[in-house]
Amino acid sequence: MRSNVKFPGLFILAAGLAAGGLPVSAAKADIKIGAPLALTGPLADEAKKQELVWKMWLEKVNAAGGISVGGTKHKVQLVQYDYQSDGQRAAQLAEKLITDDKVDFLLAPFGSGHTKIVGTIATRYETPIIACAASSESVFDQTSGYLFGTLSPNIGLFGPMVKYFREKMPQLKKVAVLGRDDVFPKSTAQGISAAAKAAGLDVYYDQLYAVGTMDHSASLSAIKAGNPDWVYITGYTQDLILARKQMNDLGVKAPIITMLAGPAYKEYIEGLGNLANGVTSSTWWHQATSYSGVGVWPTTEAFYKEFVAKEKSDPDYIHASCAATVVVLQDAIERAGSLDKKKVRDAIAKTDITTFYGPIKFSANGMNAPRDLPIIQVQDKGIKVLAPADVKNSDMNMIK
Amino acid sequence: MVYVQTLVNGIVLGALYACLAVGFSLVWGVLNVINMLHGSVIIFGGYLTFFAWHSYGIHPLFALPVVAAFMFLIGYVTQLLMINRVIDQPVLTTLTLTFGLDLILYNFMTVYYTATPRRVTLDLGALDLFGIAVPVDRVFGMVLALALTGLLYLVLRRSRIGRAIVAVRMDSAAAALMGIKVDRIYAITFGIGALMAGATGAIFAMVYPVTTNLSGTYLGKAFVVCVIGGLGSVPGALAGGIVLGIVESFAGQFFGPQHALTVGFLLMLILLVVKPTGLTGIKGYE
Repeated sequence: MRSNVKFPGLFILAAGLAAGGLPVSAAKADIKIGAPLALTGPLADEAKKQELVWKMWLEKVNAAGGISVGGTKHKVQLVQYDYQSDGQRAAQLAEKLITDDKVDFLLAPFGSGHTKIVGTIATRYETPIIACAASSESVFDQTSGYLFGTLSPNIGLFGPMVKYFREKMPQLKKVAVLGRDDVFPKSTAQGISAAAKAAGLDVYYDQLYAVGTMDHSASLSAIKAGNPDWVYITGYTQDLILARKQMNDLGVKAPIITMLAGPAYKEYIEGLGNLANGVTSSTWWHQATSYSGVGVWPTTEAFYKEFVAKEKSDPDYIHASCAATVVVLQDAIERAGSLDKKKVRDAIAKTDITTFYGPIKFSANGMNAPRDLPIIQVQDKGIKVLAPADVKNSDMNMIK
Repeated sequence: MVYVQTLVNGIVLGALYACLAVGFSLVWGVLNVINMLHGSVIIFGGYLTFFAWHSYGIHPLFALPVVAAFMFLIGYVTQLLMINRVIDQPVLTTLTLTFGLDLILYNFMTVYYTATPRRVTLDLGALDLFGIAVPVDRVFGMVLALALTGLLYLVLRRSRIGRAIVAVRMDSAAAALMGIKVDRIYAITFGIGALMAGATGAIFAMVYPVTTNLSGTYLGKAFVVCVIGGLGSVPGALAGGIVLGIVESFAGQFFGPQHALTVGFLLMLILLVVKPTGLTGIKGYE
């Protein structure tokens, strides 16, 4: 009989764990922001970046008394669950956040795929949601009206890069494109291929590789046979480290090697050492920019300094974009002067501000307006910005 | 020349696949345990190797025997204290147990090491054999696969413990009646499986990024190789790995890299229908 006494407690605990963990904070707060986060599983590193900057923002906002709603300060609470990098679980937890935890607003998880899943749930319950790590237009193509994103569309990655490389290498002709068959890497591979063809370049190799690929030698041997001027590979960091290493092993050379978004992450450079040197990429943000505007971080420098003081390492574009989502949300709530979801949604849609992260103005589909995105290159195991001209801090080096 | 390069690429890739699968196949064949822990043990071996190199400058090839021996101990104790308790239960029970243990190890590594990809950046370069590039680290992988497979084959055929393992594999009740300590043999076998995984992790730390993100990929590949080669057969795992490597390599060239894995899975499905015992056609009685 004793087991019957213990059972309900154990059952509740087990049920809580099965649901993906217990809420981090149980304190009462006026404004509840929900966040399904992939704190375990393959996306754990990225989710921790999101969690880190959101908590940095939360500390600052609550230390200042909270967010001003119609002249009254309201404290803010972040209600988060670990969805274990499982898209279906993310959807379940987003629904729980809205219906059980009664959150006012949502922050989207990492990546285009999971953002689309959670965005669909938020739309169904007419809850505003802002994404910080989804740049594929296909995520926003259903024009739900409730899903917004701080990354500009992928389109800003392609045209300016092709134009820039053609200026730097007028004889540029033969291009090889290899992309991971996954939402974001696939759309960027297709985008660069289309932009290169439109510019009259010869895209002689244009293929996708499957998720779970452990070897790129077949693709790289074919690329090598074509003697490329420019090799463009997309994927996640482990894919790109493997691809760059195999390029070296198989003697695949090109004056320009671009990997998206490898060099934007310090782990890519650490995992490759000298092999990372010369590799170019695009990024949505870099600390070399110098914006000033609204929010708890009035300038790019303020954000950068606070981050480095806390983490002892440089932030990347995911940190910055995710920090920008909460700056946007705070600004919209203050302008709406209300916690009504519809009014805040309307205020987010009308956002036209500059933040430490750069300008934020949402297009009709909810994405941040297109702009020319910084082109970066690894030089001496550090990141240099090559373009646009206003943030450039180095010239491009061709790989010998 | 392109086809020769593709063939060489396939063989060295296949050797890496064989490394992945030998230990997994042995455990499945002898213990009838589908060891869901296998991929994470490879990653764990990779982390130990990486940090030995990163923190103390120990070359992965020198770290390999120590990592492999440590993994043997871990595997031995895991089998003795945990899996042996349910070894007589249906295969789904042992699968669930190893799945649970995998969740613990996987999440421990993700929390403790983070999922950030790391790699031993030694970059040993490639041999140029008449215009054919052969990466040196993959050659080490191939040598390891051949050496481990050969060694295991000899142990199973020539040593008392090896014969005991085979005897338990054939009929555990009869083996017990002959005085073989079946529980101990189970533990040794699981330990050898973990040793193989640890050694593979040490070699893979030079070839692939070390990250928990790849745990599931390694496990899935080991599964496919075992089914192709023949469950429980050590030479079968080697043959299955090489065949899968070559098939994927040529499929990547002819059908595009997008379809290389699909063709590998297709081969597995065809074999399951026409030759369920795998390429070697034996049931693991060495």
